[in-house]
Amino acid sequence: MTTIADAIRDGEIPGRVWFYSNYHCNLACTYCFTESSPKAAKRALPPDQMVRLAKQAAELGYTDFGITGGEPFLMPYIVDVAKELGKLGPTILITNGTVFGPKRFAKALELAGTDVALQISLDAPEPDLNDEMRGPENFAKVADVVPRLVDAGVKVRIATTVEPDRLDQDQHDRLCALHRSWGVSDDDHVVRPVVSRGRASEEGIGTSLEYHQFPGELTISVDGAFWGAFGPGFTNGVGDTDLLLTRTIEPIATPAEALHRVAGGRPDGADAAIGIR
Amino acid sequence: MPIVNLIDASSAPLLLRHLFEGDDPGPIVGTLAQVPELCEPALPFLGAALGPSGVSLRQKEIAILRTSANLGCRFCTDGHTVVAADSGLTLAEVRALRECPTAQEVFEDPDEQAVVVWIDAISTERGWVDPAVTDAALAAVGEAKLVELTMTIGATMMLARFASAFQLPQPDELYERLGGLGIDPMPEPPARPVASDTGTLVTITRRTS
Repeated sequence: MTTIADAIRDGEIPGRVWFYSNYHCNLACTYCFTESSPKAAKRALPPDQMVRLAKQAAELGYTDFGITGGEPFLMPYIVDVAKELGKLGPTILITNGTVFGPKRFAKALELAGTDVALQISLDAPEPDLNDEMRGPENFAKVADVVPRLVDAGVKVRIATTVEPDRLDQDQHDRLCALHRSWGVSDDDHVVRPVVSRGRASEEGIGTSLEYHQFPGELTISVDGAFWGAFGPGFTNGVGDTDLLLTRTIEPIATPAEALHRVAGGRPDGADAAIGIR
Repeated sequence: MPIVNLIDASSAPLLLRHLFEGDDPGPIVGTLAQVPELCEPALPFLGAALGPSGVSLRQKEIAILRTSANLGCRFCTDGHTVVAADSGLTLAEVRALRECPTAQEVFEDPDEQAVVVWIDAISTERGWVDPAVTDAALAAVGEAKLVELTMTIGATMMLARFASAFQLPQPDELYERLGGLGIDPMPEPPARPVASDTGTLVTITRRTS
């Protein structure tokens, strides 16, 4: 068996590691696969552990990092953690973009000039359709903060999560015109399907995927290490285990080797094209 | 009702899916699968300690059933009552191993009597075993088999406490088999008072099925 670094270099496994910084969120989106909400338990990974694990991962050969939740910006230290990860490799920090009061906005500006990109969710070009899934005032808050972040030099990506056929071509075009007007290029706009896990599966929406249909990005949460960022979800209040690799998360070599074993057992021609970024 | 969610085919972690592809592997595996990196190495060990080996199946079942009963594990005792009967133990031997404080008296073979006394010493006492009991057991089965039997007793003690801790259930079919043997299910052990950190005795409420 090759080393983890060889496997990443050869494309056998992805080079990104995701961290679930926390599970609680100011929103309760209809399709959330972690069942995040204001009432969800924090289930926070300690900041020093995220940095330590990222350093271990970099030593193994991992090249990229991501932080997601929950809403990571509810953790006061998250920008500092992201900056540390950004020193190790390109890092994506996912946020819903609705929690940027003056204090958090000022803190987020520290990401300007770093290798950290904020990925902000926006699901439709108009408030009604977007806010139906993501909550009241979501569109307005995102539309307010994205241009200000871009103007301040913070890298911003836009992520659109949709059910098949929910956005027609005209709506898609208007959404793209909108993010371009904010200074976010098409290269930094990702459209991905709602995945039928967690709250989406309870609502009977989304696309069902087998594990080999999305990237096996090593994903760390307080509950363990998982195959892919869809792994550490919750369904009806119970943590999902079908994509669990190990409960051990440190040293990170333990789950990395488990993931490498799983990758070696994927069916021929497995197509891993759908991710959360 | 078990006190943790039992993993099944739909929730099996990736590296353990093969365990759930055929027949239901049972609640011990369903519980251990919560921790894949523990489940993976544990199962081969348990298979070696409890499964077919140089020690006869009959001797192993004597060890497993007696140890399970000594520890008051309903799951293991009822389950291995059926296995023991299928392994050639007489109904009188099975009943004695489940219920009788001096079960060795039911066995005709002096070597098996020595083994039962050894099992009782290992699974109910603390510290070193009485030299007379040790000598008798060594004479009965020899060094290698005594090592193996003792590991079988130890593995059973581990699983018995594990199964009791998580209140693992047996299927209805097992109780139908027990009924066919004319044996009642083992009564659920009562809640046991434990000392709180203030030194007061408290009673832990058991979740009932």
